[in-house]
Parts: sequence; structure tokens; C-alpha cells
Amino acid sequence: MRAGERSNGGATRLAVALVALALTLGLAACGGDTVGGGGNSGDAEVAKGGPVKGELTISNWPGYIDPGAGGTVAEFENETGVSLDYIEDVNDNNSFFGKLQPQLEQGESGGRSIFVVTDWMAKQMWDLGYLQELNRDDLPTVFQNLVPNLENPSFDPGRKYSIPWQSGMTGIWVDTSKAPDIKSVNDLFDPKYKGKVTFLEEMRDSVPLVMKAEGVDPEEATNEDWEKAIEKVKGAAQSGQIRAFTGNNYTEELTAGNIVAAIGWSGDASIVENPNAEWRMPTEGCVLWSDNMVIPVGAPNTPAALGWMEFVYEPEVAADLTEYITYVSPVDGVKDLLSNSNPQLAKDPLVFPSAEFQENCSTQDSPPDVESVSAAWADTVAG
Amino acid sequence: MSRRQRLVPYWLLGPGLLWLLLFFVVPMYFMGELALRSGSLTTGFTFTWEWANFPDSLSGHTEQIVRSFFYAGTATLLALAIGYPLAYAIAFRAGRFKLLLLFAVIAPFFTTYLIRTIAWKTILSDDSPLVGVLQALALVPEDGRVLATPAAVIAGLTYNFLPFMILPLYANLERLDMRLIEAAKDLYASSRTAFLKVTLPLTMPGIVAGVLLTFIPAFGDYINAQLLGGTGQAMVGNVIQSLYLNQRDYPEAAALSFLMMALILVVVSVYIRFAGTGAFMGDEDERERV
Repeated sequence: MRAGERSNGGATRLAVALVALALTLGLAACGGDTVGGGGNSGDAEVAKGGPVKGELTISNWPGYIDPGAGGTVAEFENETGVSLDYIEDVNDNNSFFGKLQPQLEQGESGGRSIFVVTDWMAKQMWDLGYLQELNRDDLPTVFQNLVPNLENPSFDPGRKYSIPWQSGMTGIWVDTSKAPDIKSVNDLFDPKYKGKVTFLEEMRDSVPLVMKAEGVDPEEATNEDWEKAIEKVKGAAQSGQIRAFTGNNYTEELTAGNIVAAIGWSGDASIVENPNAEWRMPTEGCVLWSDNMVIPVGAPNTPAALGWMEFVYEPEVAADLTEYITYVSPVDGVKDLLSNSNPQLAKDPLVFPSAEFQENCSTQDSPPDVESVSAAWADTVAG
Repeated sequence: MSRRQRLVPYWLLGPGLLWLLLFFVVPMYFMGELALRSGSLTTGFTFTWEWANFPDSLSGHTEQIVRSFFYAGTATLLALAIGYPLAYAIAFRAGRFKLLLLFAVIAPFFTTYLIRTIAWKTILSDDSPLVGVLQALALVPEDGRVLATPAAVIAGLTYNFLPFMILPLYANLERLDMRLIEAAKDLYASSRTAFLKVTLPLTMPGIVAGVLLTFIPAFGDYINAQLLGGTGQAMVGNVIQSLYLNQRDYPEAAALSFLMMALILVVVSVYIRFAGTGAFMGDEDERERV
């Protein structure tokens, strides 16, 4: 009797296992054949214009907007009646892309209608077919007020899919009370500051600065130049010279007093709560970049998204933004407005940099062979 | 027994099996399939039986794997060293404070894991009073630090997984028949002998369960290394995260995850063998065999 039960149980168990297997295979068959791929074959969807209303979700970097009741979000909501969900969940381009890529691949944007990403990432998303094209006629204010030097960037001539949010420079943040003599990226490798400096996780920020300090022009750099600079950083990471690789959170390390210097972005004064910290132009120059608003595929309510772009390109709104976030505005006329209301800021070279100030700076670029160089960099960061 | 009655246990298993199928077997299948793809993000990943992903995923990452074993192992031993006396005290010495103490063990769970770890980042920051005291006591060198060191990562792991050690130990100790210890003492056993010969063997199931519940999640953890560690403290979880989110080499990330799962499975089987299945399961087969 017992033996009989056993064998019967075995049969049932086998049946259950087979059903499970069949179900699994069935589900698997429903899945797609390839992950990733796609590519933009030039027939991108065009973002629809129309009346500005309803709900809107925007993903941006932390500390990149003036908050509160008088802030830009509230003003936009009051003026248009749009209910805006403004999220600060972009801490670095790569992780943000990694998080959303599976959804974008399915033609979904995770409910968001605008992302703010850096130049090269905007191009990567466009090349993969993840972005919608923008119609110039829907954005009259934008194209009227966009500063001329950002009208035709090499990655997006004529601004087909990206509208600058803010521009900035990558250089060094220094706690002047602890390390007043740091002036060049080479100084960050000084053993005096062992374990007291951080680098940016973003390869296109950190590595070109190291190359510049070595006398290599990043815009002309070969794969070997990139790899050599990465080796140098790797050595410093392994010896403990570099404390950590960070996203935007280097500002917290500076505030907490854990570090004396960091590779960081020029406009972060508003979120570095350390009165002794200042951004310095490295003696060998900086890296120039812009963060751009893009509309992803599957974005809900694109009319409101276009409405937002139009809104932030009104000089008064842009001036308010600049006053709070202290990055370089892409909107013409901001300086004139501020020279009346905030003359000190209007003279700040970090916010309104002159050509001489940026003389030695290079525009942010990718290595010739992105894949192999990125892998070497990733191994350095995850050492 | 009618056919219907015989089927009852399987019906009862149904919900559990369905759960396992949906949330374990199916994801595992997809991950396994992903691990055998090749390609890149731009060309797309196609299924090609790419077995090479497995050795590839190990190359260059052995350091982080060994480090993960060391960190998770040390954290587990520390948790045992802290958790056992604590669970013992709560079970036998706490009297009317028993519930309160148990609550204190569980209370941190009311705050999320991430927030608690970030809080440690503040507590241990270089200019914090705590680090000042440690420096004054010469436990940390004068120009030294706590944050961004292996010690910080191990301490974080120990702290975060300690309740997983304490709770099974407590459950086990709580059921311990005190008369056995009295009997041992009647037979002239010293307290030490009674502990080693009676209490410890009888609480082995709790120890084994606690060690597994601590070691396995600690091994795969990446939050502690990311928040409390610095360069040179990345664990295998950080490598997988970087492969997935930064390099977007999904197949290699999946392959590495699979290998780590296999590795843990082997380690755990060896451990259970060594510690005795009976101790783990507390089952009757073992007793029958003996």
C-alpha cells in the first residue's frame, strides 16, 4: 500500500514538473527574440503638439531647478493648469539609461514625458530609436531664444531631438580651508590628499580631464590615450588615493567634509553646503557639456512637454532658474535681465563664462572605440 | 484512501508551487536564456548558445568574488559572535523584558535598509564625533578614517543582517528544555561542559539557519559596499550591477549571477553536509539512520 502510494505520488510530481516546464516554455515563447538593437532608421515619430493641459512627468538631475511655491514648477502649474510631477532621479547618465532601457525597448517611457540627459547620452538614445523628433514649429520661443553657439552641436545639428536645459563645465571642486593649493587635475594625484579626493563615475568627465593634465587633447585622443589615462586613474584607485567614484553625490561628501577635492560640475554651488568649497577651472582647462531635454518614445502628453520647453525658454523664467541653479543658461537675454536684478551673479565667470575663461576647455566627447574603453573604465570604477 | 484524498496534499501545494513557478522558475529561465546570448546593445542580443559568457564573466572579477567571501564570511562570524550571546540572554535572562528586547531587535526593520545604511554614512563620516573618539582612543589612526574602508563595509553587513542571525537562534534557544542542562549539571558537568555538550549541539539548527540567512544575502549585497565602501571595496554584487546598469552587458551579468548562485549552492551544500542535515532540518530520517 505504502509503496503504491509512493509511486503514485512520484507520477503526480512528475506531471506537475512537466506542466511547469510546459508553462515556462510557453511563456518564454511569448518573449521577444532579441533584447536591445532597434536603431533609428530615420523615421522617428514626431512629438505631437497641441493644447497644454493635463498631467506631465519630468525626470531631471537633483538640484537642477528652483524649488518651492515661487519656483519654476509651481509657476508653470499656475500658468498652464498642468499638474507636473517633477522627479529628480537622474544621478548619472549610465544608471538612468540602464534603469529605463528595458522599458524604452518596449516603446514605453515609464510614464515620463521629458528626460534631461547629457549630449552623448541624448545621441545614444536617438541612435537606438528611443526618442521622438521635435517639430520646430511647435517650439517658436525655444528657437528664438536659444543661444547661437548651441544651435548646431555636432551630435544633433539643427536640434532635431534635443533642447538644451543647462550647460556647464567639469573641473575641480576644492575645499579651500583644507587644500588651498589644488589647481590642476595632477594635484589630485598628490599623496598628500590620499583618500581625500573623489572622481566622477562618468567616464567622459573624468578621463578627458586626466588626459588634458597629461597634455593630450581629448578631442583628438586615440584609444591608447584613453586607456593610458584610465590606467593612471586605476592605479590611483587601487592605491587608495581616490576615495570613491561618484555621481552627483560628491556634493554630499564635500558637505560632510569627507573629502578635500573632487572632480565635479561648475554649477553645483547651490547644493554644496560647505562655505569653503569652490569650483576651480583646472590650469589645463575644463570639459564643456550640455544637458538636454528630450522626449522619449511612448511619452504621454507630448503637448504639455513641448509647453514646458517653451515655458523655460522665456528669458524671465530662465533668469529665475539661473539665479537658483547657477549653471550656464542656454537662453539669450538672461544676462541682461540679471545685470539689473543680480549684478554680482551677472559677473560670475562660472555662470556667464567668457571665451577667454574657457579658452583651454574641450567639448565632451566619446572615445573612438566606446565599447572597449567603457569596459576598461567600468572595471576601474568597480575595482 | 480514495484518489481524491491522495490528491489533497498536491492541491495544498498548489499556491506555493505556482508562486515558485512564477517568481523563481520563470525568471531563472529568462536569466539562463539571457546568459547564452551574444551581441551588444546597438546590434541587439541574440540567442546563440554563447557558453563563453560564463568564463568571460569570471575573468577580471575573481578579486571581487574572493573579497565578497571574505566580507560576508567575516560579517557572518561577527553576527554569530554578537547574536548568540544576545539571543541566549533574551531567551533565558531577560525575564519580563523579553518581549521588549525582541522588539528592539526587530525595531530597525521599521526603517528601510537603505535609509539605515545612509544614516551610518553620516555617523561614520570623517569629521564625525564618533570617529573623533575612535581617533582619540587610537583605534583609528590620527589621519585615518572609518568610512570607505573594508571595516566599514563589514560592519555595515554585520549590522544589517544581525537580526537574521538573532531570530532563528532565539527561536531555537527558546525551545531548549532546561531540564537537560539541569540533568547535565546533576551529572557533575561544569557550566562550560554543559554548554558545549548540551546547549550548543541542541542549538545547532538555529546556528545553521542563522548562518545561512546571514551569509547568503551578505554575499550578494551591494548597498553596503556602495555606500560605506570606497575604491577597492567593491563586492560581486557591485560588479553585477555595473555590468547591468553601466556596461549594459546583460548576458555577462546574467552569466555571472548564475555562476554566483551555483557557487553559493555548492558552498551551502558542503556546509550543510558538514554541519549535518539533521542539524539543519531537525528531521527524523537522520535519527533513523543513526
